[in-house]
Amino acid sequence: MADGTEAGLIEAAGPGGVTISQQGSPTPGEEILTVNFGPHHPSTHGVLRLIVDIDGEVIRKVRPVIGYLHTGIEKTAESLRYQQAVTVTDRWDYLSPLFNNHSYALAVEKLMGVEVPPRAQALRVILSELCRISSHMIWLGTSGLEMGAISMLWYCLRERDKILDLNEEISGFRMHTSYIRPGGVFADATPRFLDLLDRFINSFPASIDEYESLLSENPIFKLRTQGIGYLSREDALQLGQTGPMLRGSGVNWDLRKSLPYSGYEKYEFEAAVETAGDCYARYKVRIKELREATKILRQALDTLPDGPINVDDRKLLPPPREELDTSMEALIHHFKLFTEGYSPPVGDAYAAVESGHGENGTYVVSDGTHKPRRVKFRSASFVNLQSTERMALGGMIADLIAIIGTIDAVMGDVDR
Amino acid sequence: MSPSKQGGGPRAGLAEHGQERGRPPSKTKKGDLAKIAIERGVVAGDEWVTVPAARIREAVQAAKQDGFSFYSFLTCVDHLARADGRPPHTGQAAGEPPRFEMVYELRDLERSRLLRIRAFLSPGDPVIDSVHDLYGPANWDEREVFDLFGVSFSGHPNLTRILLPDDWEGHPLRRDYPVGGDPVEFSEEHQEWQTAPKQA
Repeated sequence: MADGTEAGLIEAAGPGGVTISQQGSPTPGEEILTVNFGPHHPSTHGVLRLIVDIDGEVIRKVRPVIGYLHTGIEKTAESLRYQQAVTVTDRWDYLSPLFNNHSYALAVEKLMGVEVPPRAQALRVILSELCRISSHMIWLGTSGLEMGAISMLWYCLRERDKILDLNEEISGFRMHTSYIRPGGVFADATPRFLDLLDRFINSFPASIDEYESLLSENPIFKLRTQGIGYLSREDALQLGQTGPMLRGSGVNWDLRKSLPYSGYEKYEFEAAVETAGDCYARYKVRIKELREATKILRQALDTLPDGPINVDDRKLLPPPREELDTSMEALIHHFKLFTEGYSPPVGDAYAAVESGHGENGTYVVSDGTHKPRRVKFRSASFVNLQSTERMALGGMIADLIAIIGTIDAVMGDVDR
Repeated sequence: MSPSKQGGGPRAGLAEHGQERGRPPSKTKKGDLAKIAIERGVVAGDEWVTVPAARIREAVQAAKQDGFSFYSFLTCVDHLARADGRPPHTGQAAGEPPRFEMVYELRDLERSRLLRIRAFLSPGDPVIDSVHDLYGPANWDEREVFDLFGVSFSGHPNLTRILLPDDWEGHPLRRDYPVGGDPVEFSEEHQEWQTAPKQA
């Protein structure tokens, strides 16, 4: 958070939280103004602060200042047992709790050499794709809102609410689900869940058409996104961008395709790739991802296999409730799991999933005890946000709003 | 309004992005990583190499030439007071047991491979060369490790705290940083709250 205190930045709060200060003496023909943008500006998606040097309306320098939402999630995860740490992963990138659960579960399972049964894998895919849609809904709604399409937010939140209902039906929680856990998933799909999901999949393509009819050919929206925030293929790779940021610049890299996990190789879908590299291309990528996610959901629902939803390993997951009344061994396992937890072997593992924002991964280091030695959350937003300056340089200050929106950085994910 | 004209135009401001502040990349060529490595193996399906901390730039450069050109993340692990004495994968057994492990996770997009480079640092004053000019996003990750672990990166253009306030004391992700040791601000136990002016 150091950038804000640099010399020469004299702050005077103006109306609306926008601070303007003058830096040095103006040279003839060029007057650089330093504008403080955020952290409470509505378009910053939380608490992002940008210190922007502008020459007239042209951006000369952008310095993001982050850390306002730092909650020490990695430290918290270190002080919890492996099965308890699932709950903090929900709160890391709060718009995609299921991706976070998923990557954490995959990392711990990788460390322990555990493979979950097919039904658990299919449920993980279903919930992940639902989460991708709900995450994109927030992005689409707020980005539309920032560019003047106010009704987008209401339409998008309407669909997102249906997904939160689905989350509630299967896990008991609307947002912080902790549904995907090491060893499987929390609960089996209820008949009502499958029915609601079926209805959602049938109705959702029409909603996407509705969004597209509002934005895709909207002249104002096109004017504000086409050719704005250009990121070349080389820059996207060099800046480590992932997700729609990378695919919008023409790089065909989707972890679900390149390094399939949880049985993604079984489903037919396309990675959404656009080559233009501007804000509009990233919009197109995300819209296409919505359609592909619906396709995956349909296939996963139609081919949902029967069978257990958890691995049959009493050292990792508690025994079924019925067994506790009759089996002494089950009681011991139950007691040990809830007093001590389980201890993966010494080593480290990294597992990543393709979230709505890009590569969200978890790196877990085990020292052989029942608490992780280190948990590192690789957050897509943190890395993607670093491309702000590259995209905004030379553009207009009004375009900065579109550019921040298109990165889709979740500040909880950035600051962890 | 073609894309290339609009946003990517003037790149002058990028100069201070670090390119000129970093040390010149050492001369490495394809396959050099095997020579630099002091230990290598596979853990849980992931390939890893341990390199001497002093040669981290060479190692990362060589890995980049081997095709691992995409950066995933960089982080640090504190191995303070491990029950088993010393951290695994340290390479050699002699000398003072290292405390900090730097981990560089790199990807090869062409062949969908992952490589983990490890380097170990001693407890005293952990310093390692910055790689921000080889991999762009390492810039913030290095600041984060500096902030939360207190590891310095020589050659970094702007090594300041990134997540915590500038006046924060200590490095919270170190294992000897007390949990629950700080006063909670704005809570009812906060001193200022209790010593509020009487007339208020």
